[in-house]
Amino acid sequence: MPLCSKAEAGSGRGQSATTLRRARPLLGTFVEITATGASENVLGAAVDAAFATVAEVQRRMSFHDPDSTLSRLNRDAAAQPVPVDEGTWEVLRFAADLHKASGGLFDPSVAPTLQAHGFLPAHERVNSKETESARARGDFGDVEFLAADRRIRFHRPGIVLDLGGVAKGFAVDGAVVALQNAGVLRGVVNAGGDLRAFGPDAWPVEIRAPLEPGRRLLEVALRDRAMATSASTFSLVRDPATDRPVGPFVHPTSGRLADELLSATVVAPSAMLADALTKWLLLAPDAALSYLETASAAAFVVLADGTAQCSSNWHDALGTSS
Amino acid sequence: MLTWKTQLFAPAAVVVSGAALAVPAGYAATYLSVEQAQRTLFPGAALTPLGITLNAEQRRAIEGASDTRVRSAEQKIWRASGGGWFIVDEVLGKHEFITYAVALSATGAVKGVEILDYRESYGYEIRRPEWRQQFVGKTAGAPLKLDQDIKNISGATLSCRHVAEGVRRTLALYAAVLKG
Repeated sequence: MPLCSKAEAGSGRGQSATTLRRARPLLGTFVEITATGASENVLGAAVDAAFATVAEVQRRMSFHDPDSTLSRLNRDAAAQPVPVDEGTWEVLRFAADLHKASGGLFDPSVAPTLQAHGFLPAHERVNSKETESARARGDFGDVEFLAADRRIRFHRPGIVLDLGGVAKGFAVDGAVVALQNAGVLRGVVNAGGDLRAFGPDAWPVEIRAPLEPGRRLLEVALRDRAMATSASTFSLVRDPATDRPVGPFVHPTSGRLADELLSATVVAPSAMLADALTKWLLLAPDAALSYLETASAAAFVVLADGTAQCSSNWHDALGTSS
Repeated sequence: MLTWKTQLFAPAAVVVSGAALAVPAGYAATYLSVEQAQRTLFPGAALTPLGITLNAEQRRAIEGASDTRVRSAEQKIWRASGGGWFIVDEVLGKHEFITYAVALSATGAVKGVEILDYRESYGYEIRRPEWRQQFVGKTAGAPLKLDQDIKNISGATLSCRHVAEGVRRTLALYAAVLKG
């Protein structure tokens, strides 16, 4: 028996709709797709197409896969310009724009510090002197975009990029487009907590307590927008300098690990934007706050002392009253 | 200009230290029954169960090749009429119990992986075999109701490492037992 449910009363045509829900291991997490408002055949084909786009993003942008486009960049782009596909180019251009807007705080070129702390595998030889001095290594400003033939060059040999901060969101957005192109206009794509709801339905989303992943902190209804949460729950280590728990979020200029917030949740028009903004918030909550409005985004954060705050436009962004 | 507003919760404490939580903690979803997964991964094919039980040598070979543990000698493997195999396996992590299916092509390549059943728990029940048993091989339950049954989570979520290891183990199983 296929999973079925009746269409919402609003359709008025007595048409029965199916709801499909599938999950696959991708992008290092579980990607879950919920789709409704079409026949089972249409939903099945659309969900397959959506998972295929996610698998493609993984092939291109996985840090852990030595054959991905990203790994090729990290290996070769300091020596000569490396051509990339449209998707990787789009993600890198987005990262460049946000790197500029955030005054350098959003920076995917922080992999050596993460590698030194054991958060990422060390494909590349890591020079310990370079991890101590983040500036000497270079930053995302040293990534050159050769638009004529879509090639990327690194101007410093120590640069290693990790697109985890945006690639997941990009994959979610691409999956939504694939669903829509296949005739499915209602649903949610959720990649390990980075999600995007599309269509007229309000989908209940549970935001988890950062230090107690099984516990619900807040439940909201998400309609036709994206949400991402960054938290260090499963990867906290104790920073020997401050003796406080820290997660894998690195301040690009100091090279220090961020410890002001336990988690940041962003609601935004796209999953890529929501995901990237959580990273900036974790490093500099007040600076990121002032950018949120420009980006049509809102945020909810949990501070290191356990209290929670939201941006003053949070309830408007969700269409709730208080 | 945006400002920060303090959120008040009831319960007020955001961080709980020590004490057991009254609210059950976790996430559970059933995506596919075994039969549905078979139809999804091998549409139109007839599937024949193979009733394979691994001997000690095969077990060692699989564990060695995949660098994983084989939890049980009994394997849930079906042969597909057009060629290929359908395998159901479970992974048990610290906080998760996941049933999934792997489809292999006639030449032993991974054609697809689908999660059948996903249980995430931060209590202790996941370590109890009798609690887990209620989910194994279960047919997908009552029809999903759009407005009630579907929950999405944002926040720290688990890596799929155990399932990825399980797929590696399935490939080693193919090489040791199914190939040729």
